[in-house]
Amino acid sequence: MMINHSLDLPDVADVLVVGAGASGSVAVKALAESGFSVVCLEQGDWTPPSAFAGDKPEWELVKQKQWHPNPNVRGGASDYPVDTSESDVNPLMYSGVGGSTILYAAHWTRFLPSDFKVKTMDGIADDWPFDYAELQPFYERMDREVGVSGLGDNPAYPPGAGYPLPPLPIGKIGRKAAEGMDKLGWHWWPGANSIPSREYRHRPSCLRYGTCLTGCPAGAKSSTDLTHWPDALEAGAKLVTGARVREITVDDQGLATGAVYLDRNGIERRQKASVVILAGNGIGTPRLLQLSTSNLFPDGLANSSGLVGKNLMMHPYGAVVGTYEDPLDSWLGPAGQSIESMEFYETDTSRGFVRGAKWNVMPSGGPLGMRSGYGGRPVDESWGVNFHRNVKANLGRSFEWGIIAEDLPDESNRVVLDPSLTDSDGIPAPKLIYTSSETPSKLIDFHDERAREAHEAAGAITTSTTRLMRDCGWHLLGTARMGNDPATSVIDQWGRSHDVANLYVIDGSAFVTSSGVNPTATIMALALRSVEHLIATRRDQVVSSPSAAH
Amino acid sequence: MLTDEERQKFAAIADVLIPSAEGMPSASEAAVPEKWLDEALRHRPDLTAGLRAALTAAGDLPPAEAVDVLNSEHIPAFEALGTLAAGAYFLNPEVKQLIGYPGQVPTVPRDDTDTYFDLLENVLERGQVYRDVPTAGPDA
Repeated sequence: MMINHSLDLPDVADVLVVGAGASGSVAVKALAESGFSVVCLEQGDWTPPSAFAGDKPEWELVKQKQWHPNPNVRGGASDYPVDTSESDVNPLMYSGVGGSTILYAAHWTRFLPSDFKVKTMDGIADDWPFDYAELQPFYERMDREVGVSGLGDNPAYPPGAGYPLPPLPIGKIGRKAAEGMDKLGWHWWPGANSIPSREYRHRPSCLRYGTCLTGCPAGAKSSTDLTHWPDALEAGAKLVTGARVREITVDDQGLATGAVYLDRNGIERRQKASVVILAGNGIGTPRLLQLSTSNLFPDGLANSSGLVGKNLMMHPYGAVVGTYEDPLDSWLGPAGQSIESMEFYETDTSRGFVRGAKWNVMPSGGPLGMRSGYGGRPVDESWGVNFHRNVKANLGRSFEWGIIAEDLPDESNRVVLDPSLTDSDGIPAPKLIYTSSETPSKLIDFHDERAREAHEAAGAITTSTTRLMRDCGWHLLGTARMGNDPATSVIDQWGRSHDVANLYVIDGSAFVTSSGVNPTATIMALALRSVEHLIATRRDQVVSSPSAAH
Repeated sequence: MLTDEERQKFAAIADVLIPSAEGMPSASEAAVPEKWLDEALRHRPDLTAGLRAALTAAGDLPPAEAVDVLNSEHIPAFEALGTLAAGAYFLNPEVKQLIGYPGQVPTVPRDDTDTYFDLLENVLERGQVYRDVPTAGPDA
C-alpha cells in the first residue's frame, strides 16, 4: 500500500473528509470543484479493474474468500474486524477508494415519497426533515454523474427526468420473471442500474460478466473510484490512502480541528482542517465518533442525544430461487438487477404489518456458487450422482427474486466499541448488537410467499426460500440520524452535528428510516445536497480559531 | 504440497463425492487429484489446513464411510474438502464444456426492450403503484 507524502498536503485544509466511498467521493469532488482545499483520508487503497477475478477461471473460488463482501471473512490488510457475536446479520463492506461501491450490485433505486413520511403515513418511526420533491433534483443529477441505465415512466415513482442511458438487457431471466408478474397482474419494471449500457464519460459499456458483487473487471460499473475520483483529483483534491483515522480532534470551544490517523507504517500523523466531514459508513462513522472522547465530549463526539451508534438498520434480505425447465443463461449479468417490482412496497394494513419491500431479479451465477446452499444437508442430497443432477437441473436455469425488507429504527440495534477486539493498528473495533424485529419477520414471510407465487406463475419447476440471509448487511444505516430536534437526532437536515458546528456526517448513518430499497442512490443524492448547502453557506460556517486549537 | 498418501486419500474421497455418472467424469477422471486440486489450492491456500484436517479425520476408513463421518462430525473440514473438490472439478475446461457453462465471459449488451414492451404496456395500463403523500408533515 502506498502512502504518498509528496502530496503537498495543506497544513490546515478547508475541509477534511474521512472516507473515499460513495458519499465521501461526492463531497470531495463538489468541494474541490468549488475551490476548497480538500484532503481525504482513506484507510484502503485503489483497486484497479485488473485486480478483480470476474474474468478469470478461479472467480468462483476466490469470491468466497479474497472477494467476499464480509470483512471478517476477507480479512484484507485494509479491513477492520467487526464483532458480530450478538448480531443476526453480518455487515458487508469494502475499505478502499470507492468504498463499498467497489463490491456493490449497483441497483440504483430511489426512495418513494412515502419513505420520507413514515410517521405521517403509517404512524411509526419518524418522518425525514424534508420530502421526496426536495431530493428529486439531486437524485436526477446523481443519475447523470454516475451514469445510470434504466427506463423512465416507471409507475412506481412520480414523474421526473429519464435516465441518461437506456436499460441494460433484462435477459431471459427477466423475461421469464415478467411473464409470471404479468399473469398475476403485478407491477414489474426493467431494473435501473448504475452500470452503463453503452460507453459513458470515458467508461466502457457493461460486458455482462455478471460478477458485479466481486468487482467489475471491465471497469464499467459505476464505482466512485471511476465516477468521481478522477474529476476530484483533477480539481486539486488531495487523497491519502492507507490512512486509518483514530480520532477527530476538537479545540477548547468544542469545535473540530482535524483528525489523527495512522499510516501503513504505523506512524501517527495529524491533518488539521477548518471543517470535518465523516463519510465512513453506518459502522465506521459511529465507531469514529465514539472513539473521539475528550473532556468536553466524554461520551463520544456529537453524542449529546446519546444516539450515536443507535438505530442501526441493515435491511433483512430474503430470497426465493426458482428453477425452470428452459435454459435461461442465468450466469449472464448484470448482477445488477434484471427487473424489479414495487407491487408490495407500500403499506396495506390488511397484511398484518406496515411498510414493505422492493423485489429484484438477479442471476444465479456459476456452478460452484449455486452449491453454497447445500452445506449441512445429507451427503446423498448434494453429492454422488446428485452432484451431477443438481448441476444439470439448476445451472443456467434458475434465478432469484430477492426481497429487501424495510428495517425500522430501534435504539436497541446498535454499534458500540468492542471491549477487547481491535484492528491491526490496535484501535478498538466495532461490535454490532442487532436482532431482526417482529415487523420485518412478518413482512418477510408475506413477501417470500408472494415471490414463490410469482415463480410458480412464471412456470418454475421448483422453488427454494432463504428466509433471512446472514450475509446480507450491505446497507448500514441510521447510526447518526438526522432531524430537527437535537434531543432525538445527531445531525441536522444538512448533515451538520447539532453539537459541533463544523462537523458533518454525510453517509448512510444520516438516514432517519431505511426504506425498503437499495440506499446508494439516496446516500449519494443526500451527500450532494448536504455538501452543496455547506458550500452555499460557507461565509456563515463557524470554524476553530488558531488560538483555540490544541 | 500434499504428500502422495494425502493425494491418494483425497482422490478416493473425491470420487465418492463426484462419481462417474450422468455422462459426467468422476473427479479422478477429470484430473482433479493430480492437477486441478493444486490449481484450486493456489487460489485458496486458506483451505489447506481444513483439507488436511479432513484427510486426517478420515483415517483409514473406507471412502464412503469417511464421507459420512466427515459430513456429520467434521463439518468445517468437510466444507473445505468439498469446496476444493467441486471448485477444482469446475476449473477443468472439459467439465465446463460438458455442463454447458462458458464461464463468466464478456458479452456485449444488446437492447432487448422489443422482447418485453408488450408486457410493459400492461403495467402502464394498471397505473400508479405509489402512495401520494401530504405536502407537509411533522418534523423529525
